[in-house]
Amino acid sequence: MSELMVFDEVREAIVMSGGEEIQKCMQCGVCAGSCPWGRMEEKSEFNVRSMFHMGRLGYDGYESDDFLFACTTCNQCAVRCPRGIKIPEVVRSMRSVIAETGGIPKNLKAVIGSINSQGNPWSQERSERAAWMKDMEVPEYTPDKEYLLFVCCTSAYDGRSQKVAKSVVELLKAAGVSFGVIGVEEQCCGESVRKIGAEEEFTKLAEYNIDLYNKKGVKKIITTSPHCYYTFKNEYPEFGGEFEVYHYTQLLDELLAQGKLKLSKPVNGKVVYHEPCYLGRHSKAFDAPRNLMGAVPELQLVEFDGNKDNSLCCSGGGARIWMETKAGQRFSDVKVKEAAEKEAQVIATACPYCIVMLEDSLKNLNKDDVMTVKDISEILKESL
Amino acid sequence: MAKGIWVFTEQRDGEIKKVTYELLSAGRKVADSLGEELCAVLLGKGVSGLEGKLGEYGADKVYTVDSEALENYTTDAYTNILADLAKEHQPTAILLACSASGRDVAAQVAQRLGTGLMTDCTDMALEDGQLVFTRPVYAGKAIVKAACPEARPVMATIRPNVLAADAPQAGRAAQAVPVGGNTGDIRQVIKDIVKQISTRPELTEADIIVSGGRGIKGPENFALLEELADVLGAAVGASRAAVDAGWKSHSFQVGQTGKTVSPVLYIACGISGAIQHLAGMSSSKCIVAVNKDPEANIFKVADYGIVGDLFDVVPLLKEELKKLLA
Amino acid sequence: MKIVVLMKQVFDTEAKISLDGNKINKQGVSLVMNPYDEYAVELGLRIKEKFKGEVTVVSVGGPEVQDALRQALAMGADKAVLVDPGADEIDEYTTATILAKAIGGLEYNILLGGFKAIDDGSCQVCGRVAEILGVPVVNMVTQAEVEEDKAVVTCDIDGGSAVIEVKLPAMLTAQKGEIEPRYPSMKGIMQAKKKPMQKIGLGDIGLDAAQAAPKVKALSYSLPAARAAGKLVPGEPAEAAKELARLLREEAKVI
Repeated sequence: MSELMVFDEVREAIVMSGGEEIQKCMQCGVCAGSCPWGRMEEKSEFNVRSMFHMGRLGYDGYESDDFLFACTTCNQCAVRCPRGIKIPEVVRSMRSVIAETGGIPKNLKAVIGSINSQGNPWSQERSERAAWMKDMEVPEYTPDKEYLLFVCCTSAYDGRSQKVAKSVVELLKAAGVSFGVIGVEEQCCGESVRKIGAEEEFTKLAEYNIDLYNKKGVKKIITTSPHCYYTFKNEYPEFGGEFEVYHYTQLLDELLAQGKLKLSKPVNGKVVYHEPCYLGRHSKAFDAPRNLMGAVPELQLVEFDGNKDNSLCCSGGGARIWMETKAGQRFSDVKVKEAAEKEAQVIATACPYCIVMLEDSLKNLNKDDVMTVKDISEILKESL
Repeated sequence: MAKGIWVFTEQRDGEIKKVTYELLSAGRKVADSLGEELCAVLLGKGVSGLEGKLGEYGADKVYTVDSEALENYTTDAYTNILADLAKEHQPTAILLACSASGRDVAAQVAQRLGTGLMTDCTDMALEDGQLVFTRPVYAGKAIVKAACPEARPVMATIRPNVLAADAPQAGRAAQAVPVGGNTGDIRQVIKDIVKQISTRPELTEADIIVSGGRGIKGPENFALLEELADVLGAAVGASRAAVDAGWKSHSFQVGQTGKTVSPVLYIACGISGAIQHLAGMSSSKCIVAVNKDPEANIFKVADYGIVGDLFDVVPLLKEELKKLLA
Repeated sequence: MKIVVLMKQVFDTEAKISLDGNKINKQGVSLVMNPYDEYAVELGLRIKEKFKGEVTVVSVGGPEVQDALRQALAMGADKAVLVDPGADEIDEYTTATILAKAIGGLEYNILLGGFKAIDDGSCQVCGRVAEILGVPVVNMVTQAEVEEDKAVVTCDIDGGSAVIEVKLPAMLTAQKGEIEPRYPSMKGIMQAKKKPMQKIGLGDIGLDAAQAAPKVKALSYSLPAARAAGKLVPGEPAEAAKELARLLREEAKVI
């Protein structure tokens, strides 16, 4: 009898937290069969099908860094699920049940602490958020500007990623876009915070940002990261934030078609495109990045064997960027190895997290002397 | 009439620790201002005869309990004796070292005497006749000044190396007061004591961390950092790149995906400063970076940087620090 | 085996500390269970699993502390007691007096707590509680073998470690050791909602504010000086190393 009670309560809690689709699961296992964890050299205990099973029955034993918090929310399973279950949403809701009770992984607690105190997940000073633009002219957002450029926390603080923010600014300027940035008043978009399960913190961030943008008169937003793009576009409306949102590649693609962005200088070399999950599979923006790189004279664009809906994740989504993944289980290592086999000189991508993960792999595999990781914006800037 | 500033002597195997002299030097000044005597309390086995040393550093009087039962520190024995002495003589203040044993005995004695205790202090001053202690809280992110206005004795544990020890005055004697001392029932029965071979502290507990990255080039070269760490009593850490290369195990990894640390001093050698690393250490009080690449991100958070080859700089730095700390 | 764990809720390690007048500002920080207390809870649960029995978690603080207590319940503790001190200005003497009084009314074979709290790091409340209750204390325990009537523990001491035996009841304070605190399970979280959480005031344990009045008074709070811009130490390696050592000692005062 008591076992039955537990059964219902756990499932109900998951449902209450927004994971109602767990009830649609028929345990066919297509998800687990699609999951990148299962394709790694070293076996992982993570199995999304079995986690759903345990969740519904109220079993213990999956609430760990390597199980419940293993999912990178790459959405590979969801695009194949015969019942169309939004699997990352269910994972998020399961995490949120745990997170409410303080059971989140230690590394992620620090992230939440930093979000609360500093408004960014990287434990960096709130007041330093605009430091990336100190040696360049970046317009401030005012209501007469058409777009707000929202720079991801990673690109605002990480020295490597700051180059991405700067490249995007240069491209927008070159294309004559009316845009500005807000800077220190901004906080993290909250996408990965919500994936941790920290619903309360996410809500606070979303409400804060929406209020800030409304006060400033923001109508249209350009993001440097697909994660910010995804959450502004798909999650902020729940909180009353109605904005027209573009990932920078989408806007630049339009500007290219209109002849406002001119890519004239040749960029030599073989470039392989790593599709960020939140731009590709989650948002279906498959064409813009390819159009842009295709327009760069002499650039030889090649594809990974798995691309678009079948692209392999870098393993940095779903808050995994703040957690450790054992060598042998890193998706980004697999990506770098494939890029090396294809003799690419550049791995191009369009997401700050992907850059962090791929560059780490490049170094660990000692490929950093034959290959580099570039954001699409950096390639386009070279072609201006 | 409460009277006397007391210093609890920190000794191990008959050797008085430097912190005791620091406490005596600072205590001397307070005792003089208040017109009270400075007393040392010396507990241990075979410690009689050390009183002279304590006198040279300023003690007027030394209460000594020399007993077989005090060979190793036990909470009960040390608490019983110190609390009995304090009850009998009613000192104004008792100062102890902030060590494992100092902290341990201080808490018990403070409670038994029904008084206040300020731990982990970094400074002590007399303000309007009141002893005021400075202590860092929230891992050094805030500083509180506190006092114990009414209850006596005022008790505090003070960190080693924060107060200056004056030069000893050769021949200055202290009155030795041997005391019988009743250890009472010692409920902590010591079965074994293991002296640490390495004195390197645990990463997250360390005040100083010497950390190496990909610039170290190989596991064998961590010896360079270990030597520097040993001079400083520091822990050794590693960046994710060094751990991934298999040069150190994951337990050494500093950074957001490893251990978050905030030591007083963090010395980063051959670490470029990936954001995950910075997120795990940038709250350190003082950051030193040694890196060949002047563009390395680590210099953005460093208080002091040397652009240079760590294989040249680290051994030289070790020698310089050794000279300074000698 | 009746196990009582003393628990404190603290600011999380990433908290940015700011001042609100002459106080620490408590707005905008995450509150978490003191990490050392998580080790104590874990140790308590392991003892319970070995002997059967009951783990009670006791804390002093306002209603916000229920979150941390609920975490302990979800990890597997059985009961929680939260005593509201009814005052903002408290010290370790106050806390220990309250905890000892609350625990004194419970049955216990073993008392556990973290050896320090990461906020004020004062390392004395557990020791004081043991003193009031007249039980032996062993601090900084990294391993504990508990039997029916005694515990044999490994603990950190100055310059090494010791193996110490104490009769029960005793107070053991946890240092980070080889055991990793567990995460609450989903089932545990659901069960925790039905576990008793007693919220009481000083009057309920027969104390009045005067009896628990603090001995130590915080006079002022300040923040450390803001970080100055970093500087590169110039010169040949020998020269730079020498200058760096000097700066660390004389300017930064960190060695």
